[in-house]
Amino acid sequence: MNLSFFDQFSSPSILGIPLILISMAFPALLIPSMGNRWVTNRLSTVQLWIINLITKQLMTPLNKEGHKWALVLTSLMIFLLLTNLLGLLPYTFTPTTQLSMNLALAFPLWFATLLTGLRNQPSKSLGHLLPEGTPTPLIPALIMIETTSLLIRPLALGVRLTANLTAGHLLIQLISTATVSMYSTMPAISLLALLTLFLLTILELAVAMIQAYVFVLLLSLYLQENI
Amino acid sequence: VLHTTRPLHTTQQSLAPVPPLPEKGGEVRHGLIPEEFFQFLYPKTGVTGPYMLGTGLLLYLLSKEIYVVNHETVAAASILTVIVYAVKKFGPDVAAFADKLNEEKIATALAMKNEAIQSLETAIKEEKKEQWRLEGRNYLFDAKRNNIAMLLEANYRERLMMVYNEVKKRLDYQVAMQTLKRQKETDHMIQWVEKNVVQSITPQQQKESIAKCILDLKALSKSAHAAV
Repeated sequence: MNLSFFDQFSSPSILGIPLILISMAFPALLIPSMGNRWVTNRLSTVQLWIINLITKQLMTPLNKEGHKWALVLTSLMIFLLLTNLLGLLPYTFTPTTQLSMNLALAFPLWFATLLTGLRNQPSKSLGHLLPEGTPTPLIPALIMIETTSLLIRPLALGVRLTANLTAGHLLIQLISTATVSMYSTMPAISLLALLTLFLLTILELAVAMIQAYVFVLLLSLYLQENI
Repeated sequence: VLHTTRPLHTTQQSLAPVPPLPEKGGEVRHGLIPEEFFQFLYPKTGVTGPYMLGTGLLLYLLSKEIYVVNHETVAAASILTVIVYAVKKFGPDVAAFADKLNEEKIATALAMKNEAIQSLETAIKEEKKEQWRLEGRNYLFDAKRNNIAMLLEANYRERLMMVYNEVKKRLDYQVAMQTLKRQKETDHMIQWVEKNVVQSITPQQQKESIAKCILDLKALSKSAHAAV
């Protein structure tokens, strides 16, 4: 079948039935659940170790109240990691390239942190709008700037993830197309493009993992400010 | 480990003890295709059967353009290269790491068990030692008894000594009294005799004795002069 450049970003459907939910739930099937064994096989051991590492990393800067968010943040991290990494395989659909999904993840979570802060310690969380040690004449302008920065956070979270992954996927597409189309006419350039593709693939692997981490890390930072 | 999902009275009620995990996972050829597939085709097509099947299938898909070579193919090739390289390079290390984690888990539990056993054995040894120590209690009691007897004896002797000293003091006093009395008596007698003698010397006798003494002295001095 012939693909255009944007077919990989269209929401998958078969005979009109949208498959987006299945594609979002699929990564969870790849994680084996812990059976009733004390000493497990290698996969379960490594997986458990990774989850422990992630949870410890995320929960160390948070106080006891913040530990209620452990499940949400860790599962979010695992979900984003898996979806991003799976999207690098050919002919796969990456749900995180859809701005709708990323905003749907970012906005409620960010809003939850904001409301927690405003509800439990309103003056402290509003106090974050003014950095320490600002000269007095600058205060009104700085408050406006900080408020804007606060309100733009969910947008930034969602768009950052979307843009990074979409850009990466598009680049892979374009360079692969260059390789394929120049293969018959200029094989040397094609080889160069292929080399670039290898490097890009490695970059994309890194970006996939880093973006997931950054998303969750920023959320935990917003939580730290407000909890 | 309650088997909550079993159909009516088909299997055992308890799922424990679970059977042990197999030592190695299923055998896989080229990391993807299970060995059983090759064994399945072996009786009919021999060793090269599955490979011929694979190659034929691939060429059929390519030639009939059921699978179209497009940009995704190149992307697939590159990502698969990276994945295969990563697995080949880091696979054994990750496996060793997982094994190490499991080993540490088991070792911790074993260490706890061994420690408990050690402490109990030490307790048993200590108890036995205490029981052996108990056998020597007679010696201890004898020594204590001897000690007390010696103390009593020493105390008795001390008191005896004290009594002796007290009696001696009183007797010495009596003796001293007697000696003093006798002394005083003799002194008094000597004084009385002397006084009477001095009284009895009349002045006439005194003059005569003095003259005699002078004559004796002169005689003596004469003899002395002569001797010199």
